[in-house]
Amino acid sequence: MIDVNAYLGHFAFRRLRNNTANGLLRLMDQKRIEKAVVSSAAAITYRNAQAGNEEIVAETKGKQDRLLPFAVLNPAYSDWQHDLRVCQEEFGMRGVRLYPNWHGYKLSDGVSLEFVQAAAARRMVVSIPFRVEDRRQQSWLVDVPDVRLADAIALARAVPEAQFIFGNGSGFAGSVLPANCYVEISLLTAMISNEIGQLLQKIGEDRVLYGSGMPFHYADGAMLKLEVLDGAPAMKDKIARGNARRLLRL
Amino acid sequence: MQLTRRSVVTAMAASTALPAQSPKGPVIDAHNHLNYHTRATWADDDRKLIEAADKLGIEQLCCSILPPERPTTIEGFRNCNRWLAEAIKRFPGRVLGYCFVNPGYGQAALDEVRRYVEEHGFIGIKLYNDYKVTDPVVAPVLELAAKMRIPILQHAGHTTWLPSPQPNISDAGDLAKAAKRFPETMLICAHICGGGDWEWSIKALRDSPSVSFDTSGSNADEGTVELAVKTLGADRVLFACDLSMTASVGRLRGAQISESDRRKVFGENMQRILARRKA
Repeated sequence: MIDVNAYLGHFAFRRLRNNTANGLLRLMDQKRIEKAVVSSAAAITYRNAQAGNEEIVAETKGKQDRLLPFAVLNPAYSDWQHDLRVCQEEFGMRGVRLYPNWHGYKLSDGVSLEFVQAAAARRMVVSIPFRVEDRRQQSWLVDVPDVRLADAIALARAVPEAQFIFGNGSGFAGSVLPANCYVEISLLTAMISNEIGQLLQKIGEDRVLYGSGMPFHYADGAMLKLEVLDGAPAMKDKIARGNARRLLRL
Repeated sequence: MQLTRRSVVTAMAASTALPAQSPKGPVIDAHNHLNYHTRATWADDDRKLIEAADKLGIEQLCCSILPPERPTTIEGFRNCNRWLAEAIKRFPGRVLGYCFVNPGYGQAALDEVRRYVEEHGFIGIKLYNDYKVTDPVVAPVLELAAKMRIPILQHAGHTTWLPSPQPNISDAGDLAKAAKRFPETMLICAHICGGGDWEWSIKALRDSPSVSFDTSGSNADEGTVELAVKTLGADRVLFACDLSMTASVGRLRGAQISESDRRKVFGENMQRILARRKA
């Protein structure tokens, strides 16, 4: 399995476990997860997100056959062009995660468009986690709403050459998603309302990805969704790893 | 594809090889819901819930039905309990009933509880957000539950700052206060993972031995079950889904707790609570 939604490091508002490279690899071994896309949890609240990327590249050194680092960058912060280049050329990062509501900009801002165009030119995947935490439990220090799906879709339409992962969210089956958008399943339902099933009917089986949100989340919930999902083993294999392999050029 | 419980458990065990598959003890969901009949798809949605339980190896679901309107009217809760009694017959052996009432109806609410427990075999009481559990209006219901040796499942949540759309929602701190005043009443605080700041809520119940916490909810945060077991003890933690089926089973499968604690949480604790009434 390839998990496209994993993290390393500390998060400002809650203790995470299994958040070192060795800890996450142990967890992945237990769950038989072959590879995971990881980014810095600390960079979500760092002003200068590049410091988090430097931590992640150091933490994953010698382990990047299994831990695939993504950058966290802020298009509204100075010098992002330099940081993006370093993340791709020197750190070997295959993608970048954006946190517009944590970093104080909008996906509809001109800087977001410019940033995504630059990432696409470097063939970096753009990952948008729609939430970090359930809003009901956020600290009294912050008030961060989920990313608006309409804003993410508009950005994806504006840069069709970019490849997007929409993750840590729900409600995707109710919208028309452009062909350059992949959806990660960690917070989608697989039973009763069965949003994953609806999504598969709508966008097909080639653009749905396994992800868990570990170590923020238990890995097992997302695994269970895949287990109980109605469908052929070949389809589940695409979600579990085939689609991620293609998208990440593994 | 319709699968039997046994075939699914076997298939799950053979699939991604998780360390904790199906527990070797009972699997009882302490908090779930069937649907109010004004919902056009209620029958289909009820069936889907039972099918989901089948697939996940959940043997019994302790359910209530809630009406859509607030505050709850007497007609509203009577409908809920009547329809639930019918559902218990429709899904024999699978659905156990919580009698839902609005305590503001006084004697009528108490009569409703007595009737559904004694005549229809309901196993407990469900309270929602019509009143906080600490409101004096709720006291007779708490006393009746103690007398009848049945649990009260209390809807609850604690957001640190977000204005609550439910002004009378109880939080774990309210349940702790109620437990001090009514120590003989078995209380279940609803949804660790669907009620806001779960760390606050678990800690608020540390010294309330008569209050259990159910693990249901859509929040997938790692560590919830472990903190609950560590803080409250495994005997006071109850597996539940509240319609979040895979997230809820997944967190119990993934929790880093002993297998004996996992068995307690998955069903032995609820079995013990149910046995109190019979005793």
